[in-house]
Parts: sequence; structure tokens; C-alpha cells
Amino acid sequence: MNDKLPLNEVVEKLSNEPLDLLKKSLITYDHELAKDSINKIIYDKTDPNIALEVITSTMRLIGDAFAIEEIFLPELFAAADIMQSIMPIIEEEINKKGGNRKILGKVVLGTVSGDIHSIGKTMVGTLLSASGFKVYDLGIDVNSAKFMEAIRKYQPDILAMSALLTTTAYEQKNVINMLKKEGLRKKVKIIVGGGAVTEEFADSIGADGYESTAPGAATLAKKILGIKGD
Amino acid sequence: MALKGFKRKFKPLEILSEVETEAIHAASIDILKETGVKFESKWALDFFKKNDCIVNKDNNIVKFPEGLVEECIRKAPSVYRVKAREEKYDEVYCKDTVYFQDAPAMNIIDLESYNTRTPTKSEYIEYVKVLDALDTVHNLSAYPYFGVSGVPPIMAMSELMAIKFKYTSKFHQSPYAEDNEIFSIKMAKAAGIEIMGNISQSAPLTWFDSAVKSARRFIEAGFPVVQCSGSTFGATAPATIAGAVAKTNAEHMSMIVLVQLINPGQRILLWDLDFPQNMKTGSPAFGQIGASISCAIFNQMWRYYRIPVGNATVGFVNSKIPDFQGAYERTIGTLISALTGCSLIQLHGCVMGELSGHPVQAVLDDDIAGMVGRFIQGEPVNDDTLAVDLIREVGQIPGHYLGKKHTLEWWKKEQFIPRAADRTSNYNDWFKENKKTSLDLAKERTKKILETHQPLILDEEKSEKIDKILEEAREYYKKREML
Repeated sequence: MNDKLPLNEVVEKLSNEPLDLLKKSLITYDHELAKDSINKIIYDKTDPNIALEVITSTMRLIGDAFAIEEIFLPELFAAADIMQSIMPIIEEEINKKGGNRKILGKVVLGTVSGDIHSIGKTMVGTLLSASGFKVYDLGIDVNSAKFMEAIRKYQPDILAMSALLTTTAYEQKNVINMLKKEGLRKKVKIIVGGGAVTEEFADSIGADGYESTAPGAATLAKKILGIKGD
Repeated sequence: MALKGFKRKFKPLEILSEVETEAIHAASIDILKETGVKFESKWALDFFKKNDCIVNKDNNIVKFPEGLVEECIRKAPSVYRVKAREEKYDEVYCKDTVYFQDAPAMNIIDLESYNTRTPTKSEYIEYVKVLDALDTVHNLSAYPYFGVSGVPPIMAMSELMAIKFKYTSKFHQSPYAEDNEIFSIKMAKAAGIEIMGNISQSAPLTWFDSAVKSARRFIEAGFPVVQCSGSTFGATAPATIAGAVAKTNAEHMSMIVLVQLINPGQRILLWDLDFPQNMKTGSPAFGQIGASISCAIFNQMWRYYRIPVGNATVGFVNSKIPDFQGAYERTIGTLISALTGCSLIQLHGCVMGELSGHPVQAVLDDDIAGMVGRFIQGEPVNDDTLAVDLIREVGQIPGHYLGKKHTLEWWKKEQFIPRAADRTSNYNDWFKENKKTSLDLAKERTKKILETHQPLILDEEKSEKIDKILEEAREYYKKREML
């Protein structure tokens, strides 16, 4: 399979075998087909790790198509959404065989206190999940105390904070100060983003990374954890 | 097959009251009856005389009975089709579809030094290829450059038409001068396609023999005719736009009488190419809002007469480079023309009014045409677009619409995404992308088009026929000692 082909041409070359149909379901954003093909894969007793590899490689292909503007956020999100819906089934099958799905890291995510903007943060969460991270989404208007509680509970590798408003961007600094005060700062990497945040601001508040786009957040998360590859 | 073009979904903007429309009509009829129009054509004078017009052969002025004018206007079709080399580029001129074409220019402009010069033949071919590639260029003008280096001026029009026949399968127009339309018509017949033949008024109130001959030749060939105005307000037309349009319309009507008497039902399109006069330089005041007011009135008047019109003023702006002035001048003109009932807008590629052009400008204009085209297509309102069920399904935060089937189905239909505009979302990203402006992005897109676009080239047999017709044209002009 030449994965450099446009997605529609990739689809044309796929067979009706369950693993190919799984790939097709992600590229054509077809929930029903995704469920049917997973069920068939399990019924056929196909190694779930192979199915996982198909999902991972297909999501990489979709990410590449997004990068060159062959597809856009709605399509990227639709594929990620399908992936999220079928991953529990795959994970369960892997667990049954005594294995564990390898995750790239754990991320606690939220929009800071005073800010009720949700969609950018939700996009980041979905796309981090699709990239192989375990995401704990705390939602919107999350205050410092809630962030501290989640960090203690989930012990994430990364804390990802979003702020859309210039008036709430400084709340990210408050959270970082609280982390320092509680002795948690060195235990977690911090990435920030959102409409009001710039690279300079991120540096000034002592964040470890900044990204302006949701799709770029997964790349940033891997980078700051030293994970190589796409 | 679905045809190209932007379908206007709503009633056009009208800037005249019914009473004002009637008044301009009455003024045009008065001009035709009382002042008359000069026809510097013996054939036309004889023809008009035979058809009950008042002809004064001492001054070549023809006066027209009101009834005859109105009868001939009624004979002109309000809806008609023109055939391109590829069926998908056929066009149906009617009241609600807007097409775009390039705005021609004399020279190519260097986008670094802003010097202008005559383009080479290969630059002309490249320009035609870019116009062929752009979705919003529905047909090509009679040029798009007026000449190329190395080709004698007398052969330029025929040579350039030959390139268009070969390198684009879109519909296009033909110029006329010194009988070159004879060869345009022959080439079109050899290529098996239609062209639209240009003829131009000479303001005020005059048609020359070359225009009459050209009209007759295109009519005889069975091709549509495009009549072009060309006044400046305060110089070759009254300074008042209402009077200028009344006069321009009278000029058009006089030719409509001729054309419809020769061939009742003849397909015609009327260009408005009228500008305010630049009272400092004597040039047309390209890009001034008066041109758009004229277009708006002209468009409304000819909707009243039910004859399709084009606006040739839009792409001719006064800025010398692709900059802010050029962008607002052409965008305001485009929007007003599209909103007021125009069927064909001449927009793409001209940098400064008739003097300079460049394919990169055409790529920039592709986005203007796309945005305006998207606007006039409006918004369908039905169960699917209202999406009440989906709104119920998504509910409140943290619900969202990204990735929903409805979003996937609709977002691309709803949005026009400009292709040479900066679309980074903040300064950081823009810095990372090397601070590209729309001009940088248009240059990149133009380069990509030239590297990848493959026009449907005319087949070899037809190309050879066209080459033979060019040879015939050379002989024709040599015999007349013009070459």
C-alpha cells in the first residue's frame, strides 16, 4: 500500500477484509463500519495488536492528510472520534490476552478558571487520545485546586491548560505557582495553548511547551516527553 | 451536466425606483428619436433606411422610431447557451447566473520592479494555462494580453486567438480589428466551437464600419455578439451617471436594432465599460465608485429589458501594483456588479487598468470571485440546514459539532476557503510560515498551477487547421501591405 496516495485513492485500493474495512472506516468516518469490522476481527480471532497497529498507522495517514490540507479539522476529528469509540473494545481484547495497550503518557487537561471555552480544549483532548495518550479531561472553568487534586490522583506526565481570553491566560500562571507551592511542579511537564496564549507568554509563566493549534498539541506532547516518531 | 457559474439566490439589489427606470428608458428613446446615432457604414445606413429608420446620409446619423427599438429589444433572447470546447464549460446566460472572465491588459508587469513590458509568447501561453486552471474564470476575454513580443501587431489578435483555441477548452471571446475576426471565426469553425464576437461603440453616439462589419460576420457565422460601451463621464458622456447610462443604452439599442433586424433572436451580451473621467489626467478614473454606480444602474436597466449584461469595468483599477488600493477597488466593484444583476464580470488578472496584467493577479482575484460568488449563492433554509435534530443531539457544553456527519457533509459546501490568503491563526504561526502575504501565497499557487495543470490541448488535426488559417491570415495582410 502506498500511503502517500490521497485518502480517496487509498480507500479505492482496500479489500473487503476486516482489517482493510477497519482502515476504511477511519478514512471514511463511518462509525457503523468501524463497529462491524472490529466485531468481525474479534470473531475471526485476529490478534488485537494487529488491529491496533492498523488503527495507529491509519491515524498517522490521516494526520499526514491533515498536514497537507487534504482534509481539515472536522474530518480529523471524525476519525479521532471513531478511534476513541473503538479503542475500549481493542483494549479489552488485548487485556484478555494478558497484554496491555501501550500508552505514550498520561495527560491532565482543562480550560482554566474563569474561562468557559471548551471546543479547543476538547479538540486537544481527542487528538491526544488518538495519538496514544491517556487523557483526563477536567472540563472548563477549572480552578487551581481542581488541577492539584487531579495531578495527585492521576499522576500525569503532562498538564495541558487552555485559555482563550487575555483576562484568563494569567490563570495558567496561578496554576503553575500553585504547583510550585505544593511541590508538584517538577513531577509534571506543562503545556499551554489557547487563543490568548503566545510562545513568549508561555515562556514567561514557566511552561514547558506552547502550541497554537490542536493538532500540533500531540506533536508537542511527544516532543517534551522525548518520544520519537510521528 | 451541471454548468459552472455562480447562481444568485436572491433578488438583485436595485438602486433605481420604477419611476427612475422609466425616466432613463424615456431618455434613451428620446436620444434615439431626436439626436440619433452616427453609423460610419454605408451598408448600415442603407439597411436602416430600408427598415423605416430616418437616415441622413449627409452626416450619417440615424434616428430610430420608438416602436422599432422596443420591438428589437424584445427579439433579443434573455436566456441562451454558448458552447465551449468542453461541455462542462458551456454557459447559460440568464438573469441569475454570474460568470467571471479575465480583464485584459497591454503588458506583463514584473512583480519585483513593477516595470511593464510586452509579454513573450510563452508568457502568454502560461497566462492562458493559469486562466484555464482557475475555477472562477468561467471564460476568457478576447485577449488576455493585447500582444506578444515577436509577433507583428497586425497578426497579434489572430496569433493570440490561436493560442487560446489550443490551450484552453473554456469558452472565450474574440476581438475585432482590421478584419482579424474573419480568421477568429475560421479558427473557431475549424476547432468546432463557438466564440463570442466583440464589437465596440465609439462614444458619443457613434458606431464605425469595422464594428458593423464585425457584427455581421459573427452573426453570419452563427456566433453570439458582445457589444461594448466605452464612455467617460464628463468627456464622452455627461458627467451625471444617469445621463451617461441613458446615452450608453441608446448606443447599445441602436446596435441591437441592427443586429436583431439582421437576425431576429441573435444572442447578444452588453458590456458596460464606462468610467468617471479623471479630471486631472484625462484618463478613465479606474477603480472609482462612479464606475460601480454606472454598472448598478446599467444592470438594473437591462434586467428591465431582459437582456444579459456584463461589467467590464471591475478588473480595471488604478493601483499600479497588487496592493490594498487594487484589492479594495476590485472587490467593491465585483461585489456591486454581482449584487446588481450582472451576468458576466471581467475581473481576473489585470493589475492596472488595461496597462498591466499578471497571472499572479488572476490567482489573487480567484479568491475575490470565490468569496463574492459564495455570497450571492446565499444560504438554503431547509430541515437539513436548520439541523434542529443535530442541535438537540449535541446539546450544551461539552457537546460540539466537530466530526459530526452533518458537519462533514456540509462544511465544505458552506465555506469558501480562499486559496491565496494567509490563513494562519496567530502571529507565531505566521512568523513560522515566513510572514507570507497573500501576494507570496498567490505566487506559490501560480507556480504550482504552472507545474501541475494540464489543459485539454486541442487535438493535432484541429491544431494543424488553425495553423493553416494563421498562414492564410499572414498572406491576407501581406497582400494589403500590412505585414
